[in-house]
Amino acid sequence: MWFPDWPLRRPDRPPDRPVQVVREGVVTAADPLAEAAGVRTGMRRREAEGLCPTVVSLDADPGAEAVAFEPVVAAVEAIVPRVEVAHPGLMFVPVGGAVRYYGGEEPLADAVAAALEETAGTGGRVGLADGPFAARLAAGAAGDGPVVVPDTAAFLAAHGVEALGAEDLAVTFRWLGITTLGDLARLPRAAVASRFGNEGLDAHRVASGEDRSLAPRRIPEDLEVADDFDPPLANLEQAAFAARALAARLIDALVPVGGLAHRVEVEATAADGPVRARTGRSSHPFGEADLAERVRWQLRAWVESGDVPGGITRIRIAPADLSDTGRQLLLGEDAATEDDARRALGRAQSLVGPDAVLQARPQGGRDPAERVLWHRWGEEPPAPRHDPDAPWPGRLPSPTPALVATDPPRLEVEWEGGFPTRVRLGSRWEQVLSWAGPWRRTGVWWEGEGPADRYQIVTSAGAVLCEVRDEGCVLVGVYD
Amino acid sequence: MPIPQSPEIVTGDRLAPPPGAVDLTAEAGRVLGLVGPAGSGLTRLGLSLLVPPSKHAPVAAVDVRGWLCPMAAWEVGIDPERLVVVRSPDRQVWPSLVAALLEGLPAVYAEVPAGVGDHDLRRLAALARARSSALVLRPVRGDLPAGVLHLKVEAAAVMWEGTDAGHGRLGRRRLALRASGRGARGIEREIEVTDDGADAVRVVPRLAPAPPGQAAG
Repeated sequence: MWFPDWPLRRPDRPPDRPVQVVREGVVTAADPLAEAAGVRTGMRRREAEGLCPTVVSLDADPGAEAVAFEPVVAAVEAIVPRVEVAHPGLMFVPVGGAVRYYGGEEPLADAVAAALEETAGTGGRVGLADGPFAARLAAGAAGDGPVVVPDTAAFLAAHGVEALGAEDLAVTFRWLGITTLGDLARLPRAAVASRFGNEGLDAHRVASGEDRSLAPRRIPEDLEVADDFDPPLANLEQAAFAARALAARLIDALVPVGGLAHRVEVEATAADGPVRARTGRSSHPFGEADLAERVRWQLRAWVESGDVPGGITRIRIAPADLSDTGRQLLLGEDAATEDDARRALGRAQSLVGPDAVLQARPQGGRDPAERVLWHRWGEEPPAPRHDPDAPWPGRLPSPTPALVATDPPRLEVEWEGGFPTRVRLGSRWEQVLSWAGPWRRTGVWWEGEGPADRYQIVTSAGAVLCEVRDEGCVLVGVYD
Repeated sequence: MPIPQSPEIVTGDRLAPPPGAVDLTAEAGRVLGLVGPAGSGLTRLGLSLLVPPSKHAPVAAVDVRGWLCPMAAWEVGIDPERLVVVRSPDRQVWPSLVAALLEGLPAVYAEVPAGVGDHDLRRLAALARARSSALVLRPVRGDLPAGVLHLKVEAAAVMWEGTDAGHGRLGRRRLALRASGRGARGIEREIEVTDDGADAVRVVPRLAPAPPGQAAG
């Protein structure tokens, strides 16, 4: 069951302009107006904005999408149990037993489609096929009515190799004349595995109508992590913190087993009794960050839907499957080092709070503060607001000041004939030995920011970066 | 303090300091102190000491003032994914925070807020040795107590190249430093560090000690 426009169903969407939803610089959904201008899902944001300059880009909010999707999942679960959510807007459900109960595939698909329409309006697509990959393609091909695929291998054979979602691999396949999944499935599996390794083997399995998960293994009974909370977790911040810790523990627990999960069960017990459980699915094995994020969405959906009255007293996470695809460590890295580091940083977070333990990524911009994109340690970094690969003329050259003010303080500078002669650093006036500048910075004038002249000023005590603005001179950074 | 022309750079990669030279590296279990005012170039020097351990595991920088710019760390060669910046202006929490980081990270650069007790610093130094973690301390004000540090590096002078009266831009700088402590064999020595402004902070030996026989004579 798939709602392609689910990320677009949000209250802040402007009604009469083309809209796209962007996550980590990639378009994840586009409305018909944007699509008419050439915008496609999977496109880079800049490319999409080049094709459709009037498009409004909204940052993806998977948590809010999950909250809105929860009633839809619950409605489907009332018809068929064991629903697996891949992401808000897309869910899978095994229908073997339900088909017999409803007397056939079409009646079941119709019942599900009716439930979707009742809870979420039109736009839902239902596809029924062998395996999640084929079912997802069938849902993509569905229009107003459900698509039931009688022969999955034949259905897949007509699709191009780009449907695999592995762009590099698809390019190579096309270069070799393998343009459809049918072409790929006809090749000997051993030959594909020999030439393309595990990735090729996965692709061959999928193209042949089999499930992507390889070498399913028995899951040890004790392979689950859980925490009890007294008093119950009442807010999302607490729940998110607990989710991150549990995700880290589960990934740790998987290391000795040597496998990773494509599906995980998340269970929350409410203080007033009910136990909520949901299975999350991913086409790639869950890593710590994406597992933590997935658990966080799910908990948020339950908390905001009022499904866990009285707060959460227990959270349990367990793998629902286990594959041989283990995590690849970096050269020189060992699991113990990484575990120790994670525990140490987790402890630091508990001491100073999650907002004080930070990582940063480079992004585009002209000033040092602008070129740093901060995010909390352990969380997925946000998409860069400014393209780091763009030229950025006027950018401050390296070296960058090692100390940069978040709120630049006033700096006293004496000038003579327009040249700086003395600077007050602390309680002392220092003679200016040399300086570079002024470099004019026009600022974000359309948001009311005035121009400024930047100077690098060198004294015997070191060098500083300052800006002369209308209101005076401020200290931007210190070359420490 | 005038800085003479720098001699040959011999320890650019800091892998093999010449015999007798001050070993300015953040070796496992060692505590280094960088003492000097803002502007003396010690933040970049301290971050450059984290580069070798960051090749294998995450490293942390404790930012007391809230001014630390990670771009400086990236410029000296730390991978953005391997640097965690922890902001903590609270001197009450600071010792526990640094201790927690030392428990699991191979190297920590920590600004020291004013008012942290000597006994806390000594306990942290002992913990760093016990956990084989490198600790680089940078007091935001004042000095560090004796007996804590393996090597103490004090800023003596900084000289920039590249700027003139309005022309050019900041480029290379040379730091004149005074090293003392066990890492300097108990003798105060002068060392010079060149910082090319891009990705290399290099130690230049200036006063390598004479062999013991000659020193005695």
